[in-house]
Amino acid sequence: MLRFIVRRVIGAIPVLFGLSIILFLFLRLLPGDPAEAILGQHATPELTAQIRTTLGLDQPLYVQYVNYLVRLLHGDFGSSFVDGKSVADTFLVRFPGTIELTIGALIFAVGLGIPLGRLAARHPNGWVDGIVTVVSLFGISIPIFVLGYTLVFVFGVQLHWLPALGQSDPRLGIPQVTHFAVIDALLTGRPNAIIDSFSHLVLPSIALGSIPLAIVTRITRASVIDVANEDYVRTARAKGLAERRVDDRHIMRNAWLPVATVIGLQVGGLLAGAVLTETVFSWNGVGSWVVSAIQNHDYIVVQSLILIFATIFLFVNLIVDISYAFLNPRIRYS
Amino acid sequence: MLRARTGSLLAAAAIVFAACGGSATPSPSAAPSQQASPSAAAASAAPSPSAAASAAGTGGTLVVGLDGDMVFADPSLVSDGNSLYVANQVVEGLVGLTPGTIGDVIPVLAASLPKISADGKTYTFTLRTGIKFHDGSDFNAAAVKFNYDRWKAYAKGDLQDNAYYYGAVFGGFGDASNLASVDAPDATTVVFNFKTPQSNFLVSQTLAVFGIQSPTALQKDKADTTPLKDNKYAQGQGESMVGTGPFMFKDWVTGDHVTVVKNPNYWDTAHAAQLDQITFQANLKDSTAKLQALQAGGIDLAETISPADVATAKSSGLQIVDRGQSCNTGYLGMNQSLQSASGGAATPTIYANKDVRFAVAEALNKQGYIDAFYAGAAKAPQSWLPAGTTGYKAENMPAFDVNAAKASLAKAGLSADKLKIDLYYPSNVVRPYMPDPKSLAQAIAGDLQAIGFTVALKTEDWHGGYVSHATGGNFPLFLFGWTCDWAGADNFLYTAWFGWQNGKPNLQFGWNNPQVNTLMTQALQATSPDAANALWAQVQDLAVQDMPTVPIVNSTPPGAYVSKVHGFVGAGNQTELFNSVSIQP
Repeated sequence: MLRFIVRRVIGAIPVLFGLSIILFLFLRLLPGDPAEAILGQHATPELTAQIRTTLGLDQPLYVQYVNYLVRLLHGDFGSSFVDGKSVADTFLVRFPGTIELTIGALIFAVGLGIPLGRLAARHPNGWVDGIVTVVSLFGISIPIFVLGYTLVFVFGVQLHWLPALGQSDPRLGIPQVTHFAVIDALLTGRPNAIIDSFSHLVLPSIALGSIPLAIVTRITRASVIDVANEDYVRTARAKGLAERRVDDRHIMRNAWLPVATVIGLQVGGLLAGAVLTETVFSWNGVGSWVVSAIQNHDYIVVQSLILIFATIFLFVNLIVDISYAFLNPRIRYS
Repeated sequence: MLRARTGSLLAAAAIVFAACGGSATPSPSAAPSQQASPSAAAASAAPSPSAAASAAGTGGTLVVGLDGDMVFADPSLVSDGNSLYVANQVVEGLVGLTPGTIGDVIPVLAASLPKISADGKTYTFTLRTGIKFHDGSDFNAAAVKFNYDRWKAYAKGDLQDNAYYYGAVFGGFGDASNLASVDAPDATTVVFNFKTPQSNFLVSQTLAVFGIQSPTALQKDKADTTPLKDNKYAQGQGESMVGTGPFMFKDWVTGDHVTVVKNPNYWDTAHAAQLDQITFQANLKDSTAKLQALQAGGIDLAETISPADVATAKSSGLQIVDRGQSCNTGYLGMNQSLQSASGGAATPTIYANKDVRFAVAEALNKQGYIDAFYAGAAKAPQSWLPAGTTGYKAENMPAFDVNAAKASLAKAGLSADKLKIDLYYPSNVVRPYMPDPKSLAQAIAGDLQAIGFTVALKTEDWHGGYVSHATGGNFPLFLFGWTCDWAGADNFLYTAWFGWQNGKPNLQFGWNNPQVNTLMTQALQATSPDAANALWAQVQDLAVQDMPTVPIVNSTPPGAYVSKVHGFVGAGNQTELFNSVSIQP
């Protein structure tokens, strides 16, 4: 197992290295540059050239890349061209928001998707199955921003049940310590702050979780139906085992494997979906940061962030692979 | 009506809190900001209404939606609207603007407007006394001198790059600065000595960029010499933005919000802040999200909303910000000398022909655009400047007249292939003077087709080269605009458009009129406002004879707020002070 992990980690190095080169070149192929973003309407050719010199953008590309790589290897993700803030510092402020959102969406997708999938699998092609199929098709086909705005309109603007933006209500004066809104609210010990932080999570989690919900539901359904037709399930029933026991011990334990794979793969999709969700819900996470950094041509920020994203994605995939071994003792890594 | 429904714990909690902030006994309190501070409220486990119930004026927290995040917490280093919007609450300069106006200069930290020497080279200010910075140190002449000397001495590199306004107003840093010296002969007198007279000095100093900050705080954090990536003062990670204003900087969470709290010791007690705290939400970039946040109560005031959302906002009970005098001009740029993007020789365009320029000017139905795209919050320009600007002169602009336009075009005698033209507009951007660039471009193209042009619409990303291609003279016909830095004729006519650089006309238009440049140079160095204004008037007279560009619109971008917000005074340049604002449920 250890050898497997080491091999995977070493294998990730060329992937990340190649990605860093592609990213570096692609970003610089985009028209425009950070000097213009800094200057706005004051971007005369003279001032633009002056700022490009300060930022080192007038140097040959390979020099810029080597400089970037050397700093990266020293663990320095660089600083924003626009506001001078270190990428690592801002990441620590903004990543907690994305983690919370991703966890919220996963809880929504898995917590609802697995029971729905099992429900649908109980009577394949029955009316319950039909409803679940329609719901999951809806979830997978509706764009995140449409769903997001609709949810806000109904539950925020019309009903006033749930807040429309952000991670917490600034009027409550919750000190930001960890930048995890829920943890910060728990730290205050005030019930209103805690309720507030959870209520802010509901709508964005649903919006971001809708696609994974649909996928988890479908995969669970298919996997359960698949396993339910196996001989050992029939044997278990023939032995006279209670239906619940058959379900839990014999069907679900075996149906888990594809479901776990899909959940793991969804994490990458959730990070991508966070970009949209964070914009719609004015969520202070990494997704909305990427958007503004791309708009400002803040190359260093975009490069470093996407590399971090990629590393997380590779890491999550590794975790998923490792978890197979626990879910299915027949799988052995060497 | 907006907040009428209840039905969840959250709504209940919100109401409890609204009630807390709402105890409206308008008596000044010694330390309201401490009461509102989160640590005090967090001390008790129960949702302690008593702790939060402030006895200070109307008190409470106002949540304001900005268009984006601040860039730096050192106002001298910023040139973007979001940073300035916050800075205006916290720092004050020698002079400022009467609230609601764009150009009415009043003394702020100065006791009165300065004495100007006859040769226009020396400005002598007498300062107010007894004012303290937010860190408790004294405001005095030495502090003023310290700040102006500091800006002038900014090192080449990122400090100079970001201190755009100092360089633009004074013509450069160090020895290049037109500000020869600032003297502080005694604690309440400051003398500015210029190399040449500078008629835009006073109005430009109303910008928050020239707000006076505490020398003690600046020195403690080495804010003058530290490059920006390590500059804690500028990054707002320490004691930052230490000014004298009615609000004090509290914290800034990157990408999320900036918080300022009431200054309990504000020197101008008659105009002390009524709110305990303002939170500026920095992440409301999307116009739909912003409108929904207003409707759902997440924010109380949005600095701007899309003109397309004004009708919806009104119908859901929101108040629309009246911004009064416009401080911008959207225009159709016509370039007489197209610069080659690859660096070759410039080529003359059809717009070098004055008749073509007049034909374009007469073809445009400006009022039609205003009705369609600006929710009526705009006026057709009567000159190149907005009407409230110093040095403005109303001119006889060509009226919308299709037949006159056709006649002008016929007079120009263009061959058929020359009537095929490209019109550039920016994508992925909303500007105050251009809320919907594509639709505006389509409408203009329609009007130009009506007089015989064949128009191809072209676009580039605003952030992806549009600005530099426009200012670099790479577009023949293009939509552009200017938001005032300060409401002076020089800022529009000279800085934005017609000032010559390196002995050549601005590349945007290639309008080669040396007389205009001479007049503007004289106006900039005029020794009295009257002399300057007379010269700026001549420049506008020459412009209307030559029609180098077509001003299309002076807009007043709409904002919106919920009805419990009182006392907000909008201004066309968005220099808006929140010390007059209160929350009254």
